[in-house]
Amino acid sequence: MSVLTADSRRDLEIHRYPVYLYGIVPLVALVLQAWLPRVVGKYAWFDLPLVVTVYFALGRRSPIQGTLMGCAVGLFEDALTHHPIGINGIAKTVAGFLAASVGIRIDVENRIIRVGLIFLLSLLSSALCLFVNRFLLGLNVEINWPIELYIALGNAAIALLLFPFLDRFQLRD
Amino acid sequence: MESLFERYRNLMVLLVMLVAQIIGLASQVHRGDAGRMSLDTRDSGGVRLVRLWANAIVSPPERFFHGIWASTFYVWSNYFELRHVSEQNKDLQKTVDRLRLEEAALMEDARQGQRLQAMLGFEEKYIYQTVPAQIIGTSGSDQSRLFYIDKGENAHLQRDMAVITADGIVGKVREVYPSSAQILLINDQTSGAGVILETTRIRGVLRGNALGQPQIVGLTNDSRIQPGERVLTAGGDEIFPRGLPVGTVDTIIKDPDQDGFIKIIIKPAAHLDRLDEVLVITSVQPRFPADQKQDMSESETLKGAEVEQEKAQKASEIMAERLPGLIVPNVPPDQQPLKDDSNPNPVARPVPALHPDRFTPDTTPNSGAPVPGADASSPNQPEATSPSSSETPKSGTAAKKPKTAVPEKPALDPNARRNP
Repeated sequence: MSVLTADSRRDLEIHRYPVYLYGIVPLVALVLQAWLPRVVGKYAWFDLPLVVTVYFALGRRSPIQGTLMGCAVGLFEDALTHHPIGINGIAKTVAGFLAASVGIRIDVENRIIRVGLIFLLSLLSSALCLFVNRFLLGLNVEINWPIELYIALGNAAIALLLFPFLDRFQLRD
Repeated sequence: MESLFERYRNLMVLLVMLVAQIIGLASQVHRGDAGRMSLDTRDSGGVRLVRLWANAIVSPPERFFHGIWASTFYVWSNYFELRHVSEQNKDLQKTVDRLRLEEAALMEDARQGQRLQAMLGFEEKYIYQTVPAQIIGTSGSDQSRLFYIDKGENAHLQRDMAVITADGIVGKVREVYPSSAQILLINDQTSGAGVILETTRIRGVLRGNALGQPQIVGLTNDSRIQPGERVLTAGGDEIFPRGLPVGTVDTIIKDPDQDGFIKIIIKPAAHLDRLDEVLVITSVQPRFPADQKQDMSESETLKGAEVEQEKAQKASEIMAERLPGLIVPNVPPDQQPLKDDSNPNPVARPVPALHPDRFTPDTTPNSGAPVPGADASSPNQPEATSPSSSETPKSGTAAKKPKTAVPEKPALDPNARRNP
Protein backbone atom coordinates (compact mmCIF):
# COMPACT_ATOMS: atom_id res chain seq x y z
CA MET A 1 0.00 0.00 0.00
CA SER A 2 1.72 3.12 -1.14
CA VAL A 3 1.41 6.22 0.99
CA LEU A 4 1.76 9.52 -0.83
CA THR A 5 1.55 13.09 0.23
CA ALA A 6 -1.80 14.76 -0.07
CA ASP A 7 -0.82 17.34 -2.62
CA SER A 8 0.84 14.93 -5.02
CA ARG A 9 -2.09 12.50 -5.09
CA ARG A 10 -4.68 15.22 -5.34
CA ASP A 11 -2.91 16.83 -8.25
CA LEU A 12 -2.29 13.61 -10.09
CA GLU A 13 -5.37 11.50 -9.61
CA ILE A 14 -8.42 13.59 -8.94
CA HIS A 15 -11.25 11.99 -10.85
CA ARG A 16 -13.62 14.30 -12.63
CA TYR A 17 -17.14 13.43 -13.69
CA PRO A 18 -19.89 15.16 -15.63
CA VAL A 19 -21.87 17.49 -13.39
CA TYR A 20 -25.15 15.68 -13.95
CA LEU A 21 -23.61 12.48 -12.61
CA TYR A 22 -23.30 14.00 -9.13
CA GLY A 23 -27.06 14.42 -9.09
CA ILE A 24 -28.31 11.43 -11.00
CA VAL A 25 -26.25 8.67 -9.44
CA PRO A 26 -27.11 9.51 -5.81
CA LEU A 27 -30.75 9.97 -6.76
CA VAL A 28 -30.90 6.61 -8.53
CA ALA A 29 -29.21 5.04 -5.54
CA LEU A 30 -31.78 6.55 -3.18
CA VAL A 31 -34.70 5.45 -5.35
CA LEU A 32 -33.36 1.92 -5.70
CA GLN A 33 -32.64 1.74 -1.99
CA ALA A 34 -36.27 2.63 -1.35
CA TRP A 35 -37.74 0.38 -4.01
CA LEU A 36 -35.60 -2.77 -4.06
CA PRO A 37 -36.60 -3.97 -0.56
CA ARG A 38 -40.10 -4.11 -1.97
CA VAL A 39 -38.83 -6.80 -4.37
CA VAL A 40 -36.22 -8.70 -2.39
CA GLY A 41 -37.96 -8.43 0.97
CA LYS A 42 -35.86 -9.03 4.04
CA TYR A 43 -32.78 -9.82 1.97
CA ALA A 44 -32.14 -6.18 1.17
CA TRP A 45 -28.62 -6.33 2.53
CA PHE A 46 -27.15 -3.24 0.94
CA ASP A 47 -26.89 0.49 1.39
CA LEU A 48 -26.56 1.96 -2.06
CA PRO A 49 -26.43 5.62 -0.97
CA LEU A 50 -23.43 4.83 1.22
CA VAL A 51 -21.69 3.03 -1.63
CA VAL A 52 -22.22 6.00 -3.93
CA THR A 53 -21.08 8.46 -1.27
CA VAL A 54 -17.89 6.55 -0.68
CA TYR A 55 -17.27 6.21 -4.40
CA PHE A 56 -17.44 9.94 -5.09
CA ALA A 57 -15.49 10.76 -1.94
CA LEU A 58 -12.71 8.40 -2.98
CA GLY A 59 -12.75 9.66 -6.53
CA ARG A 60 -12.80 13.36 -5.80
CA ARG A 61 -10.44 13.09 -2.84
CA SER A 62 -11.97 16.17 -1.33
CA PRO A 63 -13.10 15.84 2.31
CA ILE A 64 -15.41 18.83 1.96
CA GLN A 65 -17.15 17.37 -1.07
CA GLY A 66 -17.34 14.00 0.62
CA THR A 67 -18.79 15.61 3.73
CA LEU A 68 -21.40 17.55 1.81
CA MET A 69 -22.44 14.64 -0.35
CA GLY A 70 -22.64 12.32 2.66
CA CYS A 71 -24.71 14.87 4.52
CA ALA A 72 -27.12 15.42 1.64
CA VAL A 73 -27.57 11.72 0.92
CA GLY A 74 -27.98 10.87 4.60
CA LEU A 75 -30.56 13.57 5.21
CA PHE A 76 -32.48 12.43 2.16
CA GLU A 77 -32.48 8.88 3.50
CA ASP A 78 -33.71 10.10 6.87
CA ALA A 79 -36.52 11.99 5.21
CA LEU A 80 -37.84 8.72 3.81
CA THR A 81 -37.94 7.06 7.22
CA HIS A 82 -39.97 7.94 10.28
CA HIS A 83 -36.89 8.55 12.39
CA PRO A 84 -35.59 12.01 13.22
CA ILE A 85 -33.90 13.66 10.28
CA GLY A 86 -30.18 13.66 10.90
CA ILE A 87 -29.33 10.17 12.12
CA ASN A 88 -28.18 8.84 8.77
CA GLY A 89 -27.07 12.35 7.92
CA ILE A 90 -24.48 12.35 10.69
CA ALA A 91 -23.36 8.81 9.92
CA LYS A 92 -22.87 9.41 6.21
CA THR A 93 -21.31 12.80 6.77
CA VAL A 94 -18.59 11.15 8.79
CA ALA A 95 -18.32 8.28 6.29
CA GLY A 96 -17.91 10.68 3.38
CA PHE A 97 -15.32 12.72 5.21
CA LEU A 98 -13.30 9.66 6.22
CA ALA A 99 -13.48 8.12 2.75
CA ALA A 100 -12.16 11.28 1.15
CA SER A 101 -9.50 11.70 3.82
CA VAL A 102 -8.32 8.14 3.36
CA GLY A 103 -8.42 8.55 -0.41
CA ILE A 104 -5.83 11.30 -0.17
CA ARG A 105 -3.38 9.17 1.73
CA ILE A 106 -3.61 5.69 0.26
CA ASP A 107 -3.90 4.15 -3.16
CA VAL A 108 -7.58 3.53 -3.60
CA GLU A 109 -7.34 2.32 -7.18
CA ASN A 110 -6.76 -1.13 -5.80
CA ARG A 111 -10.04 -3.02 -5.74
CA ILE A 112 -9.28 -4.90 -2.57
CA ILE A 113 -8.59 -1.67 -0.75
CA ARG A 114 -11.82 -0.18 -2.06
CA VAL A 115 -13.85 -3.17 -1.00
CA GLY A 116 -12.22 -3.35 2.39
CA LEU A 117 -12.74 0.34 2.91
CA ILE A 118 -16.38 0.27 2.08
CA PHE A 119 -16.88 -2.74 4.32
CA LEU A 120 -15.37 -0.91 7.27
CA LEU A 121 -17.22 2.31 6.53
CA SER A 122 -20.51 0.40 6.41
CA LEU A 123 -19.94 -0.97 9.88
CA LEU A 124 -18.85 2.44 11.08
CA SER A 125 -22.01 3.99 9.66
CA SER A 126 -24.16 1.45 11.52
CA ALA A 127 -22.25 2.09 14.73
CA LEU A 128 -22.72 5.83 14.34
CA CYS A 129 -26.47 5.37 13.81
CA LEU A 130 -26.64 3.36 17.02
CA PHE A 131 -24.54 5.94 18.84
CA VAL A 132 -26.79 8.80 17.76
CA ASN A 133 -29.95 6.88 18.65
CA ARG A 134 -28.75 5.63 22.00
CA PHE A 135 -26.55 8.38 23.34
CA LEU A 136 -27.51 11.57 21.57
CA LEU A 137 -31.24 10.98 21.38
CA GLY A 138 -31.65 8.56 24.28
CA LEU A 139 -33.94 6.32 22.27
CA ASN A 140 -34.31 2.66 23.08
CA VAL A 141 -33.41 1.42 19.63
CA GLU A 142 -31.57 -1.82 19.03
CA ILE A 143 -29.49 -2.87 16.08
CA ASN A 144 -29.27 -6.36 14.68
CA TRP A 145 -25.55 -6.67 14.21
CA PRO A 146 -25.55 -9.83 12.06
CA ILE A 147 -27.77 -8.01 9.59
CA GLU A 148 -25.44 -5.02 9.68
CA LEU A 149 -22.58 -7.37 8.90
CA TYR A 150 -24.49 -8.76 5.93
CA ILE A 151 -25.17 -5.23 4.76
CA ALA A 152 -21.47 -4.41 4.96
CA LEU A 153 -20.67 -7.51 2.93
CA GLY A 154 -23.41 -6.64 0.45
CA ASN A 155 -22.02 -3.15 0.03
CA ALA A 156 -18.58 -4.56 -0.61
CA ALA A 157 -19.95 -6.91 -3.25
CA ILE A 158 -21.90 -4.13 -4.94
CA ALA A 159 -18.84 -1.90 -4.88
CA LEU A 160 -16.90 -4.54 -6.77
CA LEU A 161 -19.35 -4.22 -9.65
CA LEU A 162 -20.44 -0.60 -9.37
CA PHE A 163 -17.11 1.15 -9.02
CA PRO A 164 -15.66 -0.09 -12.36
CA PHE A 165 -18.97 0.78 -14.02
CA LEU A 166 -18.94 4.35 -12.67
CA ASP A 167 -15.26 4.72 -13.54
CA ARG A 168 -16.29 4.65 -17.20
CA PHE A 169 -17.96 8.02 -16.77
CA GLN A 170 -14.72 9.73 -15.71
CA LEU A 171 -13.68 12.75 -17.74
CA ARG A 172 -10.25 12.23 -19.23
CA ASP A 173 -8.03 15.18 -20.05
CA MET B 1 -6.36 33.22 11.50
CA GLU B 2 -6.72 32.78 7.82
CA SER B 3 -4.02 30.18 7.72
CA LEU B 4 -5.65 28.32 10.60
CA PHE B 5 -8.92 28.20 8.71
CA GLU B 6 -7.13 27.08 5.59
CA ARG B 7 -5.30 24.40 7.50
CA TYR B 8 -8.31 22.97 9.28
CA ARG B 9 -10.89 23.81 6.66
CA ASN B 10 -11.98 20.24 6.14
CA LEU B 11 -12.38 19.57 9.83
CA MET B 12 -14.26 22.79 10.40
CA VAL B 13 -16.71 22.03 7.61
CA LEU B 14 -17.24 18.61 9.11
CA LEU B 15 -17.85 20.05 12.56
CA VAL B 16 -20.27 22.65 11.26
CA MET B 17 -22.26 20.03 9.42
CA LEU B 18 -22.34 17.73 12.43
CA VAL B 19 -23.34 20.44 14.88
CA ALA B 20 -26.09 21.66 12.59
CA GLN B 21 -27.51 18.17 12.32
CA ILE B 22 -27.28 17.56 16.05
CA ILE B 23 -29.21 20.74 16.71
CA GLY B 24 -31.78 19.66 14.17
CA LEU B 25 -32.07 16.28 15.88
CA ALA B 26 -32.52 17.86 19.28
CA SER B 27 -35.55 19.74 18.05
CA GLN B 28 -37.27 16.54 16.93
CA VAL B 29 -37.29 14.61 20.20
CA HIS B 30 -38.81 15.48 23.54
CA ARG B 31 -38.48 14.21 27.07
CA GLY B 32 -41.45 12.25 28.29
CA ASP B 33 -43.07 12.25 31.71
CA ALA B 34 -40.96 9.29 32.83
CA GLY B 35 -37.78 11.10 31.89
CA ARG B 36 -37.19 8.99 28.80
CA MET B 37 -36.66 10.54 25.42
CA SER B 38 -39.23 9.72 22.81
CA LEU B 39 -39.94 10.56 19.23
CA ASP B 40 -42.51 13.08 18.30
CA THR B 41 -45.18 11.03 16.57
CA ARG B 42 -46.26 14.08 14.66
CA ASP B 43 -43.59 15.84 12.65
CA SER B 44 -43.21 19.56 13.00
CA GLY B 45 -43.97 21.76 10.02
CA GLY B 46 -40.37 21.97 8.82
CA VAL B 47 -39.67 18.30 9.18
CA ARG B 48 -42.89 17.39 7.44
CA LEU B 49 -41.96 19.68 4.59
CA VAL B 50 -38.60 17.96 4.18
CA ARG B 51 -40.29 14.58 4.17
CA LEU B 52 -42.82 15.84 1.67
CA TRP B 53 -40.09 17.02 -0.70
CA ALA B 54 -38.19 13.77 -0.38
CA ASN B 55 -41.35 11.82 -1.06
CA ALA B 56 -42.21 14.01 -4.03
CA ILE B 57 -38.78 13.31 -5.52
CA VAL B 58 -38.72 9.58 -4.87
CA SER B 59 -42.34 8.62 -5.48
CA PRO B 60 -42.52 9.18 -9.28
CA PRO B 61 -39.53 6.94 -10.05
CA GLU B 62 -40.83 4.42 -7.56
CA ARG B 63 -44.17 4.36 -9.33
CA PHE B 64 -42.35 3.94 -12.62
CA PHE B 65 -40.34 0.98 -11.34
CA HIS B 66 -43.39 -0.44 -9.66
CA GLY B 67 -45.34 -0.16 -12.91
CA ILE B 68 -42.71 -2.07 -14.84
CA TRP B 69 -42.46 -4.68 -12.13
CA ALA B 70 -46.20 -5.06 -11.84
CA SER B 71 -46.63 -5.35 -15.61
CA THR B 72 -43.97 -8.04 -15.79
CA PHE B 73 -45.50 -9.89 -12.91
CA TYR B 74 -48.95 -9.51 -14.47
CA VAL B 75 -47.82 -11.08 -17.73
CA TRP B 76 -46.16 -13.91 -15.87
CA SER B 77 -49.10 -14.64 -13.63
CA ASN B 78 -51.70 -14.34 -16.39
CA TYR B 79 -49.91 -16.27 -19.08
CA PHE B 80 -47.75 -18.89 -17.49
CA GLU B 81 -49.90 -19.68 -14.52
CA LEU B 82 -53.22 -19.73 -16.36
CA ARG B 83 -53.33 -23.49 -16.40
CA HIS B 84 -53.87 -23.56 -12.65
CA VAL B 85 -56.76 -21.14 -12.74
CA SER B 86 -59.43 -23.75 -13.35
CA GLU B 87 -58.38 -25.89 -10.41
CA GLN B 88 -57.98 -22.86 -8.21
CA ASN B 89 -61.39 -21.65 -9.26
CA LYS B 90 -62.96 -24.93 -8.23
CA ASP B 91 -61.18 -24.89 -4.91
CA LEU B 92 -62.15 -21.30 -4.32
CA GLN B 93 -65.76 -22.03 -5.19
CA LYS B 94 -65.79 -24.82 -2.64
CA THR B 95 -64.23 -22.50 -0.12
CA VAL B 96 -66.80 -19.82 -0.85
CA ASP B 97 -69.64 -22.31 -0.41
CA ARG B 98 -68.22 -23.51 2.85
CA LEU B 99 -67.61 -19.99 4.09
CA ARG B 100 -71.14 -18.96 3.17
CA LEU B 101 -72.49 -21.70 5.38
CA GLU B 102 -70.15 -20.77 8.17
CA GLU B 103 -70.99 -17.11 7.79
CA ALA B 104 -74.69 -17.79 8.01
CA ALA B 105 -74.14 -19.80 11.16
CA LEU B 106 -71.92 -17.13 12.68
CA MET B 107 -74.41 -14.45 11.72
CA GLU B 108 -76.78 -15.65 14.37
CA ASP B 109 -74.03 -15.44 16.98
CA ALA B 110 -73.10 -11.98 15.79
CA ARG B 111 -76.66 -10.75 16.01
CA GLN B 112 -76.99 -12.18 19.45
CA GLY B 113 -73.74 -10.51 20.42
CA GLN B 114 -74.96 -7.20 19.05
CA ARG B 115 -78.14 -7.47 21.06
CA LEU B 116 -76.23 -8.23 24.22
CA GLN B 117 -73.79 -5.41 23.57
CA ALA B 118 -76.66 -3.03 23.02
CA MET B 119 -78.09 -4.10 26.36
CA LEU B 120 -74.76 -3.56 28.06
CA GLY B 121 -74.17 -0.23 26.36
CA PHE B 122 -71.02 -1.51 24.70
CA GLU B 123 -70.53 -0.72 21.06
CA GLU B 124 -68.39 -2.84 18.80
CA LYS B 125 -67.03 -1.36 15.59
CA TYR B 126 -67.18 -3.23 12.31
CA ILE B 127 -65.05 -2.54 9.28
CA TYR B 128 -67.34 -0.45 7.16
CA GLN B 129 -65.21 0.84 4.33
CA THR B 130 -61.74 0.05 3.05
CA VAL B 131 -59.53 1.46 0.35
CA PRO B 132 -57.25 -0.95 -1.52
CA ALA B 133 -53.75 0.34 -2.16
CA GLN B 134 -50.57 -0.93 -3.71
CA ILE B 135 -47.16 -0.74 -2.13
CA ILE B 136 -44.73 1.29 -4.21
CA GLY B 137 -41.71 1.64 -1.96
CA THR B 138 -40.09 1.35 1.42
CA SER B 139 -37.99 3.51 3.70
CA GLY B 140 -34.87 1.73 2.52
CA SER B 141 -33.67 1.09 6.06
CA ASP B 142 -34.12 -1.98 8.21
CA GLN B 143 -34.22 0.32 11.21
CA SER B 144 -37.36 1.97 9.90
CA ARG B 145 -39.90 -0.62 8.94
CA LEU B 146 -42.41 1.28 6.89
CA PHE B 147 -43.53 1.43 3.31
CA TYR B 148 -45.28 3.77 0.97
CA ILE B 149 -48.60 3.15 -0.75
CA ASP B 150 -50.01 4.74 -3.88
CA LYS B 151 -53.01 6.33 -2.14
CA GLY B 152 -52.98 9.45 -0.06
CA GLU B 153 -55.10 12.49 0.56
CA ASN B 154 -56.66 11.96 -2.85
CA ALA B 155 -58.24 8.77 -1.47
CA HIS B 156 -59.27 10.48 1.78
CA LEU B 157 -56.70 8.65 3.86
CA GLN B 158 -55.86 10.05 7.26
CA ARG B 159 -53.30 9.45 9.94
CA ASP B 160 -53.73 6.49 12.28
CA MET B 161 -55.98 4.52 9.97
CA ALA B 162 -55.51 0.78 10.28
CA VAL B 163 -53.92 -1.12 7.41
CA ILE B 164 -54.73 -4.79 6.95
CA THR B 165 -54.66 -7.65 4.48
CA ALA B 166 -56.97 -10.61 4.22
CA ASP B 167 -54.56 -12.50 6.46
CA GLY B 168 -54.22 -10.02 9.29
CA ILE B 169 -53.17 -6.58 10.39
CA VAL B 170 -50.19 -4.88 8.78
CA GLY B 171 -49.76 -1.49 10.40
CA LYS B 172 -51.16 1.99 10.49
CA VAL B 173 -51.01 5.13 8.42
CA ARG B 174 -48.27 7.34 9.85
CA GLU B 175 -48.15 10.19 7.39
CA VAL B 176 -50.33 11.18 4.47
CA TYR B 177 -49.09 12.99 1.38
CA PRO B 178 -51.14 14.22 -1.59
CA SER B 179 -50.86 11.01 -3.60
CA SER B 180 -49.08 8.62 -1.27
CA ALA B 181 -49.00 7.65 2.37
CA GLN B 182 -46.49 6.27 4.82
CA ILE B 183 -47.44 3.01 6.56
CA LEU B 184 -45.72 2.02 9.79
CA LEU B 185 -45.54 -1.75 10.12
CA ILE B 186 -46.41 -3.59 13.32
CA ASN B 187 -42.90 -5.06 13.50
CA ASP B 188 -41.24 -1.66 13.80
CA GLN B 189 -39.62 -0.88 17.12
CA THR B 190 -41.68 2.28 17.53
CA SER B 191 -45.05 0.80 16.63
CA GLY B 192 -47.69 -0.26 19.13
CA ALA B 193 -50.99 -2.10 19.03
CA GLY B 194 -53.30 -3.51 21.67
CA VAL B 195 -53.64 -7.28 21.32
CA ILE B 196 -55.26 -10.13 23.18
CA LEU B 197 -54.49 -13.84 23.27
CA GLU B 198 -57.47 -15.73 21.95
CA THR B 199 -57.89 -18.50 24.52
CA THR B 200 -56.21 -17.17 27.64
CA ARG B 201 -57.65 -13.65 27.07
CA ILE B 202 -54.40 -12.06 28.23
CA ARG B 203 -53.95 -8.54 26.94
CA GLY B 204 -50.70 -6.91 25.92
CA VAL B 205 -49.00 -4.38 23.70
CA LEU B 206 -47.51 -5.44 20.40
CA ARG B 207 -44.32 -3.85 19.10
CA GLY B 208 -41.39 -4.85 16.93
CA ASN B 209 -37.86 -5.78 17.89
CA ALA B 210 -34.49 -5.26 16.22
CA LEU B 211 -34.92 -8.44 14.19
CA GLY B 212 -38.17 -7.21 12.70
CA GLN B 213 -40.32 -9.63 14.68
CA PRO B 214 -43.51 -8.42 16.32
CA GLN B 215 -43.54 -9.22 20.04
CA ILE B 216 -45.81 -8.72 23.00
CA VAL B 217 -43.97 -7.05 25.84
CA GLY B 218 -44.71 -6.32 29.48
CA LEU B 219 -46.43 -9.62 30.33
CA THR B 220 -45.93 -11.47 33.58
CA ASN B 221 -44.89 -15.08 33.31
CA ASP B 222 -47.94 -17.25 32.72
CA SER B 223 -47.75 -20.99 32.10
CA ARG B 224 -51.06 -20.98 30.25
CA ILE B 225 -49.53 -19.21 27.29
CA GLN B 226 -48.44 -21.82 24.79
CA PRO B 227 -46.92 -21.57 21.31
CA GLY B 228 -49.51 -21.73 18.58
CA GLU B 229 -52.14 -19.68 20.36
CA ARG B 230 -53.80 -17.12 18.15
CA VAL B 231 -53.36 -13.42 18.82
CA LEU B 232 -56.08 -10.93 17.94
CA THR B 233 -56.43 -7.18 18.12
CA ALA B 234 -57.93 -6.04 21.39
CA GLY B 235 -59.59 -2.94 19.98
CA GLY B 236 -58.51 -0.64 22.77
CA ASP B 237 -55.97 1.39 20.80
CA GLU B 238 -58.55 3.27 18.73
CA ILE B 239 -56.75 2.18 15.57
CA PHE B 240 -57.45 -1.48 14.92
CA PRO B 241 -60.98 -2.84 15.22
CA ARG B 242 -61.39 -5.66 17.70
CA GLY B 243 -60.89 -9.27 16.69
CA LEU B 244 -58.62 -8.92 13.67
CA PRO B 245 -55.98 -11.65 13.39
CA VAL B 246 -52.47 -10.57 14.33
CA GLY B 247 -50.64 -13.88 14.27
CA THR B 248 -49.78 -16.82 16.46
CA VAL B 249 -47.51 -17.22 19.46
CA ASP B 250 -44.14 -18.39 18.17
CA THR B 251 -41.79 -18.41 21.14
CA ILE B 252 -41.89 -17.21 24.72
CA ILE B 253 -38.72 -15.75 26.19
CA LYS B 254 -37.82 -14.09 29.45
CA ASP B 255 -37.52 -10.34 29.37
CA PRO B 256 -33.88 -9.59 30.20
CA ASP B 257 -34.72 -6.05 31.26
CA GLN B 258 -37.54 -6.90 33.66
CA ASP B 259 -37.46 -9.72 36.18
CA GLY B 260 -40.52 -11.97 36.11
CA PHE B 261 -41.71 -10.63 32.80
CA ILE B 262 -41.76 -12.36 29.47
CA LYS B 263 -41.74 -11.45 25.81
CA ILE B 264 -43.88 -13.32 23.35
CA ILE B 265 -42.53 -13.45 19.83
CA ILE B 266 -45.38 -13.47 17.35
CA LYS B 267 -45.44 -15.09 13.95
CA PRO B 268 -47.44 -12.50 12.02
CA ALA B 269 -50.49 -13.61 10.11
CA ALA B 270 -49.81 -11.19 7.28
CA HIS B 271 -46.68 -11.69 5.19
CA LEU B 272 -44.99 -8.46 6.19
CA ASP B 273 -41.93 -9.08 4.02
CA ARG B 274 -43.86 -9.74 0.83
CA LEU B 275 -46.77 -7.36 0.71
CA ASP B 276 -48.20 -6.30 -2.62
CA GLU B 277 -51.62 -4.89 -1.81
CA VAL B 278 -53.16 -3.76 1.43
CA LEU B 279 -56.49 -2.45 2.62
CA VAL B 280 -56.73 0.78 4.52
CA ILE B 281 -59.71 0.87 6.85
CA THR B 282 -61.19 4.28 6.26
CA SER B 283 -64.39 3.85 8.22
CA VAL B 284 -65.68 1.71 11.06
CA GLN B 285 -69.30 1.70 12.16
CA PRO B 286 -71.32 -0.11 14.81
CA ARG B 287 -73.21 -2.05 12.15
CA PHE B 288 -72.45 -4.29 9.22
CA PRO B 289 -71.94 -2.61 5.84
CA ALA B 290 -74.62 -3.01 3.16
CA ASP B 291 -72.64 -5.32 0.90
CA GLN B 292 -71.78 -7.56 3.84
CA LYS B 293 -75.43 -7.68 4.84
CA GLN B 294 -76.38 -8.67 1.30
CA ASP B 295 -73.69 -11.31 1.30
CA MET B 296 -74.93 -12.66 4.59
CA SER B 297 -78.54 -12.78 3.39
CA GLU B 298 -77.39 -14.73 0.33
CA SER B 299 -75.56 -17.07 2.61
CA GLU B 300 -78.63 -17.57 4.72
CA THR B 301 -80.73 -18.30 1.64
CA LEU B 302 -78.19 -20.74 0.32
CA LYS B 303 -77.90 -22.32 3.69
CA GLY B 304 -81.70 -22.76 3.89
CA ALA B 305 -81.84 -24.40 0.47
CA GLU B 306 -79.01 -26.69 1.37
CA VAL B 307 -80.66 -27.68 4.62
CA GLU B 308 -83.90 -28.52 2.78
CA GLN B 309 -81.96 -30.55 0.28
CA GLU B 310 -80.26 -32.44 3.08
CA LYS B 311 -83.61 -33.11 4.73
CA ALA B 312 -85.09 -34.47 1.51
CA GLN B 313 -82.06 -36.62 0.97
CA LYS B 314 -82.31 -38.01 4.47
CA ALA B 315 -86.02 -38.80 4.01
CA SER B 316 -85.34 -40.73 0.83
CA GLU B 317 -82.56 -42.63 2.53
CA ILE B 318 -84.89 -43.58 5.39
CA MET B 319 -87.52 -44.74 2.93
CA ALA B 320 -84.96 -46.80 1.09
CA GLU B 321 -83.98 -48.48 4.33
CA ARG B 322 -87.57 -49.25 5.21
CA LEU B 323 -88.40 -50.61 1.76
CA PRO B 324 -85.61 -53.04 1.02
CA GLY B 325 -87.67 -55.07 -1.45
CA LEU B 326 -88.01 -52.18 -3.88
CA ILE B 327 -84.36 -52.36 -4.79
CA VAL B 328 -82.61 -55.53 -5.90
CA PRO B 329 -79.00 -55.16 -4.77
CA ASN B 330 -77.22 -56.94 -7.62
CA VAL B 331 -79.25 -55.46 -10.45
CA PRO B 332 -78.23 -52.25 -12.20
CA PRO B 333 -80.42 -49.25 -11.50
CA ASP B 334 -81.89 -49.13 -14.99
CA GLN B 335 -82.94 -52.80 -14.78
CA GLN B 336 -84.63 -52.69 -11.42
CA PRO B 337 -87.99 -54.51 -11.50
CA LEU B 338 -89.85 -51.52 -10.18
CA LYS B 339 -88.31 -49.07 -12.56
CA ASP B 340 -91.21 -47.57 -14.43
CA ASP B 341 -90.58 -44.21 -15.91
CA SER B 342 -94.01 -43.92 -17.43
CA ASN B 343 -95.61 -43.07 -14.11
CA PRO B 344 -94.00 -40.07 -12.49
CA ASN B 345 -95.76 -40.75 -9.18
CA PRO B 346 -95.81 -44.46 -8.62
CA VAL B 347 -97.82 -45.76 -5.67
CA ALA B 348 -95.72 -47.48 -3.08
CA ARG B 349 -96.97 -50.96 -2.46
CA PRO B 350 -96.99 -52.56 0.96
CA VAL B 351 -94.47 -55.18 1.79
CA PRO B 352 -95.97 -58.68 1.96
CA ALA B 353 -96.19 -59.98 5.50
CA LEU B 354 -93.92 -62.78 6.50
CA HIS B 355 -96.64 -64.42 8.64
CA PRO B 356 -100.02 -63.35 7.26
CA ASP B 357 -103.12 -63.76 9.27
CA ARG B 358 -106.66 -62.65 8.81
CA PHE B 359 -105.73 -59.09 9.62
CA THR B 360 -103.15 -58.94 6.90
CA PRO B 361 -104.19 -56.78 3.94
CA ASP B 362 -105.58 -58.65 0.95
CA THR B 363 -106.66 -61.57 3.14
CA THR B 364 -110.24 -60.43 3.62
CA PRO B 365 -112.68 -62.95 2.13
CA ASN B 366 -114.72 -61.90 -0.82
CA SER B 367 -117.94 -60.69 0.65
CA GLY B 368 -119.74 -61.55 -2.59
CA ALA B 369 -119.48 -65.29 -1.92
CA PRO B 370 -119.84 -65.87 1.77
CA VAL B 371 -119.93 -69.41 2.94
CA PRO B 372 -121.47 -69.91 6.30
CA GLY B 373 -119.34 -72.02 8.54
CA ALA B 374 -116.49 -72.14 6.05
CA ASP B 375 -112.96 -72.12 7.36
CA ALA B 376 -110.87 -69.52 5.63
CA SER B 377 -107.68 -71.27 6.57
CA SER B 378 -108.70 -74.59 5.07
CA PRO B 379 -105.82 -76.07 3.06
CA ASN B 380 -108.26 -77.42 0.50
CA GLN B 381 -109.44 -74.06 -0.51
CA PRO B 382 -108.17 -72.83 -3.85
CA GLU B 383 -105.81 -69.91 -3.86
CA ALA B 384 -107.50 -66.64 -4.53
CA THR B 385 -106.35 -64.18 -7.10
CA SER B 386 -104.58 -61.42 -5.39
CA PRO B 387 -103.30 -58.14 -6.72
CA SER B 388 -100.04 -58.92 -5.08
CA SER B 389 -99.80 -62.44 -6.33
CA SER B 390 -97.24 -61.48 -8.85
CA GLU B 391 -95.11 -60.06 -6.07
CA THR B 392 -94.92 -63.19 -4.04
CA PRO B 393 -92.07 -62.86 -1.59
CA LYS B 394 -89.14 -64.97 -2.34
CA SER B 395 -89.14 -66.18 1.20
CA GLY B 396 -89.91 -69.88 1.26
CA THR B 397 -91.86 -69.65 4.47
CA ALA B 398 -94.20 -67.04 3.16
CA ALA B 399 -94.66 -68.88 -0.11
CA LYS B 400 -95.89 -72.04 1.61
CA LYS B 401 -98.53 -70.20 3.53
CA PRO B 402 -101.96 -70.15 1.99
CA LYS B 403 -103.33 -66.78 1.21
CA THR B 404 -106.92 -65.75 0.89
CA ALA B 405 -109.65 -68.37 1.03
CA VAL B 406 -112.39 -67.65 -1.44
CA PRO B 407 -114.10 -71.01 -2.18
CA GLU B 408 -115.94 -71.42 -5.41
CA LYS B 409 -118.02 -74.32 -4.06
CA PRO B 410 -119.28 -74.70 -0.58
CA ALA B 411 -117.72 -77.61 1.26
CA LEU B 412 -118.92 -79.35 4.35
CA ASP B 413 -116.59 -79.29 7.26
CA PRO B 414 -117.13 -81.34 10.39
CA ASN B 415 -116.05 -78.47 12.47
CA ALA B 416 -118.54 -76.19 10.87
CA ARG B 417 -121.33 -78.04 12.36
CA ARG B 418 -120.33 -77.23 15.80
CA ASN B 419 -120.46 -73.58 15.03
CA PRO B 420 -123.78 -72.00 15.68
